[in-house]
Amino acid sequence: MDIYLPIAEVSVNWPLLVLLGATVGFVSGLFGIGGGFLMGPILIFLGIPPAVAVASQASHVVASSTSGVISYTSQKAVDYRIGGVMAAGGVLGALLGVELFRYLRLLGQADLAVALAYLLFLGAIGLLMLYESLGQILRRLRGEPAPHKERRRPLWLYGLPLRMRFPRSGLYISAIPPFALGAFVGILSAIMGVGGGFILVPAMLYVLRMKASVVVGTSLFQIIITTAMTTILQAGRNQTVDIVLSMLLLVGGVVGAQYGARLSGRFQADTLRAVLGGIVLLVGIQMGLTLFVRPSDLFAFAPGVGQ
Amino acid sequence: MIQDIPPTAIAAPAPERSVATVSEARIAAALTDAQVKVDSSFRGASIVLYGAVFNPEDTPTDVVVVVRGPDAPVRLVKKTRNTGVWLNSRPVLFEGAPGFYMTASTRPLSDISDFGQLRRLGVGVDHLRINAPEESRTVTRYGVRDVVVSRLGEDYLDWRRAVIRLREGAELYDTDPDGVEFVDRGLFRAEVKLPAVAPTGRYFAQVWLFQDGEPISVSNLTLTVEKVGIERDIFEFAHRRPWSYGVLCVLLAALTGWGASRLFRRT
Repeated sequence: MDIYLPIAEVSVNWPLLVLLGATVGFVSGLFGIGGGFLMGPILIFLGIPPAVAVASQASHVVASSTSGVISYTSQKAVDYRIGGVMAAGGVLGALLGVELFRYLRLLGQADLAVALAYLLFLGAIGLLMLYESLGQILRRLRGEPAPHKERRRPLWLYGLPLRMRFPRSGLYISAIPPFALGAFVGILSAIMGVGGGFILVPAMLYVLRMKASVVVGTSLFQIIITTAMTTILQAGRNQTVDIVLSMLLLVGGVVGAQYGARLSGRFQADTLRAVLGGIVLLVGIQMGLTLFVRPSDLFAFAPGVGQ
Repeated sequence: MIQDIPPTAIAAPAPERSVATVSEARIAAALTDAQVKVDSSFRGASIVLYGAVFNPEDTPTDVVVVVRGPDAPVRLVKKTRNTGVWLNSRPVLFEGAPGFYMTASTRPLSDISDFGQLRRLGVGVDHLRINAPEESRTVTRYGVRDVVVSRLGEDYLDWRRAVIRLREGAELYDTDPDGVEFVDRGLFRAEVKLPAVAPTGRYFAQVWLFQDGEPISVSNLTLTVEKVGIERDIFEFAHRRPWSYGVLCVLLAALTGWGASRLFRRT
């Protein structure tokens, strides 16, 4: 049941990879995220070289997000206009991120950057999501009304030039914040091998204050463009995309994503967010721990030449 | 610590000369497979090296099998603790480390021959010429040229040992003091175990016959490990035309996603 991966140059159990793809796809459909933040650490744990894992899962994110976007488009839940602005930023971010990651790898500091990025971003987002959704669940159980939310956007969003109308999102704001958000997520996508949904979704909801119904679909659209760009750049610059690995993952992934997306309507949104927040926090802590635990071997291979 | 950089060991001496002059004893060997094909079902390979010792005298002899893969330079980092956080040091490039190296012998190498001889022949993992050229420089001191100074200093041996230890962990380096097994009088066999991560390329096998600590005969064999079929095509495509390969990966991924959503909408 083992298959030899031509780029990663390791042999792995293929049903396990398909299953992993399906599980992550399911999670991604359920929560409306790319799922890369889960996939990367698991692939590395399975013995795939980190550079190959990060690059190959990006194309898996492309596939699962494509089927996600198609199902959200049919529900008219994608704002292609603001998504396009964010994707343009994402492409720029991916370009910067891949170069930055290449440089960090050569310095031998890629591990540190990846661990720090996971710890900081996943840790912070996970905590926020958990705190916010648990409060909401508690209020729902006690039957208290939701507190009146300040629906005003931060004032600086109005002060910026280049204002555009985004009717589907119910926005009339400057194009700069969505562009910058897209670029930031693009950089993360190259370094962490993630789509960046876990940052995009809360930022679109709480900073840009987009209409909640279009947030997930639009974020997936931005993720497709950004991760497609990341995949091409990683293949072109670093030759680290393993097509066999990503095909195995995405065969499972697309199926899982469909079931996840169907199931997501059955749960309370706050419950979903609480569970996702918990998962995000755990992965962040797990990756961050590598910085503080004494390694079993003080020496390690650094990528660059040969192995 | 400066003298720890081993002398040239790979440039093995021409052994044929000593063969004729020292003794009549000879060794002959062959491999069951001279070609290892890496395809999608590749999980590593095990090849048997077999051979015969012709020894007209009664003096006992020892057989040492050395298999060396293509050179694979390696970059290594050392983790150090800075204010509670484990950080990587600057990477150090080591050259001359083969991507695969194994020795199998009838007895521990140190019992078969002395240190100097083994080092000269480059036999044994301790005698590999692994060094970090960028970390050392040659200087002239007290009128003596070629004094090598290593910036790694005292740590140098630790780094060198780490290269070997990490590769041993990946089953790429192996030392088996009982790896050569005599199946009959004069007939022996040894197993060459290639892990799935073994590098592709030409491998050189040397089968040495030692008597009283001196190499008296050697047999040279070659072995190729190559990717075949679709694995090779993918690998070549990804390295020769990386941008087209990347675009293809994305198109394939998008198509799969689209196909899946079509499929699921109908059912």
